[in-house]
Amino acid sequence: MKHEASDSELLQRLLHGEPGVGDLSALAARAEEDADLARVIADELAFSGFLREALRGESGDEEHTFSADLLSAGRPLEDLLDRVREGVATPYECDQVVKHLWETPGAGRRLRRDLAMEEFFHEALADSKSEVAFIQSLETRMWAETRDDHFVDDFAKRLERELTPVSAATDEEKVVAFPGAWRRTFLQMGAVAAALALGSFFGVKMMMHHFSVEPVLALIVKTSSGVIWSGNTAPGEDGTIKSGLYHLRSGVVSMRMSSGGELTVEGPAIFEVGDDASTFVHEGIALARVSSTDLGISLKSKGLNISEAARLIGIDARSEAATEAIVFGGDGGVCLSEGGKCRELSEFEAVKVDHLRERLVDVPYNPRAFSKAWALLSGVEDNLGSVRIEMPGTEISSHRGEEGEVQVYVENASFRPAHDLEVDQVVVGEFSVAEANPGQHLQANGELRSYLLQLWPGGEDEAGGTETSLTFDHPVVGVIYSSDRLMSSDSSVGSPISQAGDGGNGHRGMDSGNDEILLSQDRHTLNLRFKGGGARAEQVRVLVALN
Amino acid sequence: MKPGDRELFIEQVREHHAGLRGFVRSLGVDPLWVDDVAQEAFIVAYNRLDEFDHSRDFGPWLRGIARNLVINERRKDARRKRILSDNLTEVLIASSSAGEEEEEMGDFALVRLNALKECIKELPEKSLRLLKSRYEDDHSAQDIAEEFSMNPPAVRKALERMRAALRVCMEEKMAITAVT
Repeated sequence: MKHEASDSELLQRLLHGEPGVGDLSALAARAEEDADLARVIADELAFSGFLREALRGESGDEEHTFSADLLSAGRPLEDLLDRVREGVATPYECDQVVKHLWETPGAGRRLRRDLAMEEFFHEALADSKSEVAFIQSLETRMWAETRDDHFVDDFAKRLERELTPVSAATDEEKVVAFPGAWRRTFLQMGAVAAALALGSFFGVKMMMHHFSVEPVLALIVKTSSGVIWSGNTAPGEDGTIKSGLYHLRSGVVSMRMSSGGELTVEGPAIFEVGDDASTFVHEGIALARVSSTDLGISLKSKGLNISEAARLIGIDARSEAATEAIVFGGDGGVCLSEGGKCRELSEFEAVKVDHLRERLVDVPYNPRAFSKAWALLSGVEDNLGSVRIEMPGTEISSHRGEEGEVQVYVENASFRPAHDLEVDQVVVGEFSVAEANPGQHLQANGELRSYLLQLWPGGEDEAGGTETSLTFDHPVVGVIYSSDRLMSSDSSVGSPISQAGDGGNGHRGMDSGNDEILLSQDRHTLNLRFKGGGARAEQVRVLVALN
Repeated sequence: MKPGDRELFIEQVREHHAGLRGFVRSLGVDPLWVDDVAQEAFIVAYNRLDEFDHSRDFGPWLRGIARNLVINERRKDARRKRILSDNLTEVLIASSSAGEEEEEMGDFALVRLNALKECIKELPEKSLRLLKSRYEDDHSAQDIAEEFSMNPPAVRKALERMRAALRVCMEEKMAITAVT
């Protein structure tokens, strides 16, 4: 005896794609008589449609294209040409235009001319299509693809010089001249004293908040020369920053935020400090450094939030079209402000928020835009000679460098040595010959930073020598210039050389007996007179105490 | 790389970037990818500077590189293509010729661009807003129509008229520049 299928069985067969012969007509006949059954079938089929849609993923584009093609089937030719010019034509619409181009002599050439003209309009009107934007982007790609080629740096510098308009300061601009001794005094404070001073400073300021005085949210700790503020808000003469919108017309400033972390901003820049000491970078370059003792830093820019601050992270918000985030040290995270999409970033990775498309795009690591901010943040200033402060991630190579040039690498921004380090003996306060010496022990207590100086021979004086002078923010506690001690300390200080295994086989140090070294009485300034030992570069490691 | 090649390259980037982008766009490259393709052409040119014959013009050589890059786009799978359509690019490439490229979008592009900028400065305010909405904000005719309470065909017509007027203005300014 044949079993008659229930409504439910028929529906299930339909939904599973297994309707038997006559099942569909049977179900249709029953649905015609039973409104409830009809509704259930309709619901189930609609839900199946949703499931297909959800699972279709990117192949959904086909349906979209098909719908678009249906819409465009009746479009007049002029509309289609417009859509090609706007860059929004579908392949189907393009094919209709192609048909017209084949049939009409000269139409192809006219369309090409129109398209080129469209591009000119964009170049003439859109900031994102300006010469500066194009060249900056080209420079980034070239830097990434030819990073060992000095030419790219020179190329970029020259174009930057030519493209940057020189503008005079207007009346509303305020040249903030910090009190003469303030900057140096501050910089020369011991790290502990500085931390205490900052702590008590913020403490007092926060206390003032309880008495309804507007709180200080950041303190300028260092500036470059030529700092000019414009607009209505400027820091106090003592370097205090309160909430407000700041226009930094030129120069570079470093601020210690009350919420933790240090922010360095390069002008021209516009940034806003919120009541909670969060910072929004509207325009310009910003570099945030967070130490292991900081809680973090709250930083946002156009289209992006720094969700997780790396040890050193930069924001490039100079373009209208995109904002870039770049990690120089540690691991960090970036999120889109709209939509919340996030991306984790490792050291030497960069990502761009494309404002037009509202998405995060991976871009090559190119730190060059941050060179001025980094020069301030690196903690070393050059006083004399040709000095290049190398960006983080720059390979320490013995195959590059110009005659008489001094390259300064921050090998390790912060570390605690596991054991005592053997350093060279240096007489404080007078020049002495750098030569073989018994050395001395630097005790393993406290946090250090390691710089590697690479000195290239071929100087400007008659004897082919060069003199250079560098001032460090923190006191120098150890200098290593002999080859064997350089070699043996590579891994102890966490130098990238130890990982790359490119310590240079053999002679690296400044111990040929031709060179002289002087460490100032206050241990902040190092002077070097070097002739070099032939064609090779000489290296000197400088250790400074951070606390 | 020969001495002086790098200097030449710097000069050529400044001289040709505007025209090269126009040229790339004229071959049917998606507007969002025009700069990307043009930059790639410059990078290829830089890496091949040794092959450049100094007795010839840099512009046509650069455009030749760009043209090959665009031709190669047709071989890519659909998701990676930087052109609007294979067929359109094919017909646009077929309709181009070396002489015309120099005349239309090649070696005088920078002068044309500067002339165009001058002409744009002379536009009435509303026209300028319309033009900026299209080219600066990248809005479609449909979006602009909503923004300006117009209908889309009227927006297209207005833009078309403006483009024609600006083209005449630009040519006139270029003619004056050539005379002076």
